[in-house]
Amino acid sequence: MTRVGVSPSFREQYEQNVFFYLFNHYFENGYILKVLNYSYKQAIIFRFHKGDKIMRKYVAFLLIAILISVLAACSSDEANSDASGDWEPDKSIEMVAPAGAGGGWDTTARMAAKVFKEAGIIEEDIGVINKPGGGGAVGWAYIAGHEGSNNHLFVASPPIILVPLNGQSEYSYDDFTPIANVIADYGAFAVRADAPWDDLNDLFEDMKADPESISVVGTSSPGSMDHIQFVQIAKAAGVDVTKIKYVTDPDGVGLTQLLNGSVEVFSTGVAETVEQVKAGTIKVLGITAEERLSGEVLEDFPTAIEQGIDASFVNWRGFFGPPNMDEAAVKYYEAKFKELSDSEEFSAIRDQYGWDEMFMGSEDYKTFLDEQNETVQTLLDELGLGQ
Amino acid sequence: MGSIEGILAGFQVALSLEGIMFVLIGVLVGTFIGMLPGLGPISAIAVMIPITFGMDPTPALVMMAGVYYGAIFGGSTSSILLNAPGVSGTVATALDGYPMAQQGKAGKALAIAAISSFVGGTVSVVLLMLFAPLLSSVAISFDPPAYFALMFLGLTAITSLSEGSTIKALISAVVGFMVVTIGIDPQTGTQRFTFGNVNLLEGVDFLVIALGLFALAEVCTLIINRKDLSFDNKQKLGSLKITKDEFKEMRGPMTRQSFLGFLLGVLPGAGATIASFIGYITEKRLSKNPEEFGKGSVKGLAAPETANNAATSGAFVPLLSLGIPGSGTTAVMLGAFLVLNVQPGPLLMTDRPEIFWGIIASMYIGNVFLLILNLPLIPYISKILKIPRPLLISLVIMFSIIGVYAISFNTFDLYMLLLFGVIGFLMRLFSFPAPPFILAFILGGMMEQAFRQSLTISNGSYMIFVESPIAISLLIIGLLSFLFPIIGHFRRKKEV
Repeated sequence: MTRVGVSPSFREQYEQNVFFYLFNHYFENGYILKVLNYSYKQAIIFRFHKGDKIMRKYVAFLLIAILISVLAACSSDEANSDASGDWEPDKSIEMVAPAGAGGGWDTTARMAAKVFKEAGIIEEDIGVINKPGGGGAVGWAYIAGHEGSNNHLFVASPPIILVPLNGQSEYSYDDFTPIANVIADYGAFAVRADAPWDDLNDLFEDMKADPESISVVGTSSPGSMDHIQFVQIAKAAGVDVTKIKYVTDPDGVGLTQLLNGSVEVFSTGVAETVEQVKAGTIKVLGITAEERLSGEVLEDFPTAIEQGIDASFVNWRGFFGPPNMDEAAVKYYEAKFKELSDSEEFSAIRDQYGWDEMFMGSEDYKTFLDEQNETVQTLLDELGLGQ
Repeated sequence: MGSIEGILAGFQVALSLEGIMFVLIGVLVGTFIGMLPGLGPISAIAVMIPITFGMDPTPALVMMAGVYYGAIFGGSTSSILLNAPGVSGTVATALDGYPMAQQGKAGKALAIAAISSFVGGTVSVVLLMLFAPLLSSVAISFDPPAYFALMFLGLTAITSLSEGSTIKALISAVVGFMVVTIGIDPQTGTQRFTFGNVNLLEGVDFLVIALGLFALAEVCTLIINRKDLSFDNKQKLGSLKITKDEFKEMRGPMTRQSFLGFLLGVLPGAGATIASFIGYITEKRLSKNPEEFGKGSVKGLAAPETANNAATSGAFVPLLSLGIPGSGTTAVMLGAFLVLNVQPGPLLMTDRPEIFWGIIASMYIGNVFLLILNLPLIPYISKILKIPRPLLISLVIMFSIIGVYAISFNTFDLYMLLLFGVIGFLMRLFSFPAPPFILAFILGGMMEQAFRQSLTISNGSYMIFVESPIAISLLIIGLLSFLFPIIGHFRRKKEV
């Protein structure tokens, strides 16, 4: 497999793709070699045993089959073999996205790693690793296992506060070392284009009058992001939050349910609504940002605050280290993330994904997280979801 | 007539040298990865994403689409030859395909699968081309009660999937239901049956169950019966030729399932798996000799293979026209679109007609390529069965482990795989059928979610299942489909 015509940025973005991982992990543990060795021995035994001449062909076929799968692994990774080849724990940095490839955490981690390298902010190699499962809990448990390490980072956002408060993770934000927050994203509440409501106040008035008539759909489970962002705004508007009907659509087809009229409101991220708004199938009643966003379509979305509802919800995203990371290391990374946030390269990425700049150093970040934790705790208690 | 111009533009893209080349690459890579047990379209697409980086979006997406349906096309191979389905859409294929291969008709089984896949794929592309713009309203027509009813209909297959004891089939299905409840409950966020283990929060993956109950259990059986002389029989590959009678048998299922499969594919969340199972049971119900099903029936193989390929094209409707991914695989496809800076959605057809129609047009060519590529290869592929048992067994184990590890790079999943291998083997030993287990596992999760979503929306009133016309009709069909065999059974008893 050649790498002709492939821009260097692709390598960073996909350096840890599925097959690379497979290959690497198996190879490190010697599994592939063992299996190969065993298969070959078996084949030889068989050949002598049965005296079958064509057996050699099968061995060749087999080895080719295995080679193909291994090649698939290498194809994506020749250039990274140096990254993993002379892997020195004291120098290289492992950046964990506690979710699968393609989501918000994964994208943030990969983009940060890319800019660190391309803008020359950090010389050492940064490998992005996915640890999906349990809404982040699997990845957090993994990081907690690297206590005191200065070479591990992970990307986090409100779920690291929400998920533990819902009793789904034994590790919470205060078990880890906050380093810096980098970006902010916001939630949006959408209804069908032909819905009777034109702003959030209309909707909330109806919800106050007859809470049973309106259902809200989101992708995350109750007590997590899509639910909490809606509850927080609705509460400020005076809606009885315990009566809100919230439906989870874990397959991510909440939009379908909105469009076919099963539910009335779709609580989601701002970016997810843009295409449908352009096509005129849905309208956004309000977003959770403090101020209007910029950009085509985005600038037309009214905030809850300008509609007289004094509440906002930030989907902040930043980076943490393992428990008890060295003070010196935190200082180092904090400065580097500041440099990242200020770089032109990262500014371009923010524009591309519609993220806002939101930098906080370690100390500010810690205070901010404590405040957020308290707000959410109160909300969850009120909803009867807190543990 | 903007759409006719669009279609023509699409063919222009698809028939250009570049278009043809990338379709060919796509389907080639797709079938080969799809053929490996344990690796399905998700791995195939994931491995190809980096290659598209920096490419022009149209040829890149034409190629990715090729990888997707190519992998579904090739996926039947490992089900038929090794009983190791790599995608949930090909589980139903194994039900009749594997017995057929065991009877020394591996070549024929592969040929039937290839032809029915081709027919399903092609008919559904025609439907896609004619109705894609209209079908987006069908894609959103299913509300939670309708989904519940659809899953219920699918579940009535359990009684059809059992050979022998219906009680044992039901027990298997109940265990399948129980296993699918493991993990965080999406509707409340409560942990269910995780025993405080962080690795169980996400539940058990489909592939773990499929490879455990099918592939590893088969491997165990092969090892236990290693001295059995009937082994030599199995190494016969048989003739590729499909007789006229067999072709006649295939015709019915292929026609019906092309349409039914496509429609089910259009519904987000339903997809190839449900299409293949529903296809399988409708054909079994319609068949004059239902007792042949599960023992290497031609119809039983042609039906799910047609349906799953038809559903794959159907899945492009919500993806392209609404930007809604209906399954894990189409979600990865959506990712491939976004990497290339193409946002699928209601505006794609007007803003980027060359992409929208180019992909659809390329699927005609892709399906023809798949047939041409696969038919001549069948004699060689089926020789896999001639690999000496110890080697074949170790290969199946290796690929199963790779497939499972690739889900989330978690060694815990490998222990689960072994556990389900043992469970699968014990089930065979005590003749509990595995298909009801896996069907309950596939449908159960979605059925429970749809049921509870419906009740939340209706404030706890069960009337919601009766009020929706789609839901009530599906429920009635499901009920009839469940009762017919029982009534028939009583009638036969009376006659005796």
